[in-house]
Amino acid sequence: MSDNRIDGYARALFEIARAEGTIDEVEDELFRFARSYETSDELRNALTDEQIPAARRQAIVEDLLGGKATATTTQLVSMVIGSGRGRDLPAIVDKLVARASSSKHLELAEVRSAVALTADQETRLAAALANATGKQVNLKVVVDPSVLGGLVATIGDTVIDGSVRTRIDQLKSRL
Amino acid sequence: MSLLGSVSTMALQASTIIRPAAEVDTDESGYITAHPFFPDRAEWLYGGLAFLIVAGLLWKYGGPAMKDALAKRSDRIGKEIDDAAAAKSAATTEAAQIRQAKGDIAAERTRLLAEADHQAAAVLAEGEARLEQELADLEARSLAEIAAVRNRVGDELRSEIARLSTAAVDHVVTGSLDDATHQELIESFISRVGAAR
Repeated sequence: MSDNRIDGYARALFEIARAEGTIDEVEDELFRFARSYETSDELRNALTDEQIPAARRQAIVEDLLGGKATATTTQLVSMVIGSGRGRDLPAIVDKLVARASSSKHLELAEVRSAVALTADQETRLAAALANATGKQVNLKVVVDPSVLGGLVATIGDTVIDGSVRTRIDQLKSRL
Repeated sequence: MSLLGSVSTMALQASTIIRPAAEVDTDESGYITAHPFFPDRAEWLYGGLAFLIVAGLLWKYGGPAMKDALAKRSDRIGKEIDDAAAAKSAATTEAAQIRQAKGDIAAERTRLLAEADHQAAAVLAEGEARLEQELADLEARSLAEIAAVRNRVGDELRSEIARLSTAAVDHVVTGSLDDATHQELIESFISRVGAAR
């Protein structure tokens, strides 16, 4: 799908969430769902299979998110999947998150961790990143077991890598 | 008196001579009538004439044949002498040729031996050089192969060590990452990033 169309979907989702007044929750839930969607081949194949009727795919989405996410998030994902844009969902969500961060004058900071962070850790991490970059950040934490340990923070073009995975890779390279 | 008569006379006289004295013919006076060694003059004459006649006949009829035989004999002997001289000359020539051939053979033998020695020396030198070259090539090839094997084994060993080390690191690190370690790593990251500016 072209960037314009992705931008169009992202803008539409953003406006809907903002109109609903749940932009922060929706943005966060969409971000987490998009990351899970990227890492799960089974889910991605199911939601992008043209042989499966759109209603069936939407039902899968509602089964997955129903009760775990806000209704707005569920409906927005269902809409994207139903319109046959499942393959572009991560890109649409990334645009939406970037737009939401920009609207709040925040810099999107994607942090990958092997384990979930506590709220306190997220707060302190956001403050630390803001201190390091000089910008207020919109922190998005992704639980990624491939990191093994530590954190990897990506703010714009800046990557702060403190992961065990990277250290092991460096050690492997030396070996 | 013919020659035969003279001869018979002489033989009679000789037999008279060798007869005993009692049987010798004597004349009435008791003397011997003929000299035992010197016939009478007539016998000398007749004997001389007979001799001359016989000698003349021999000279006339036997002389040419004898002369011819002697000439032929002389020719034969001369021819034989010439043949012998020719044979000697031929033999001398042949001997010279043989001696020359012998000399040539000796020279040729010497030349062939020298040439054979030279060729043998050349073949030997070439063989030695070729063997030395092959030996050097073989040594160089062996050294290169040894170096290649050593490098390959070294690379394989290093690769295997790296692989095992990596697996060990993965295993050890993954095994040692408990919740406390995760939290420590997170706090360390936050502290480090917060301190950076």
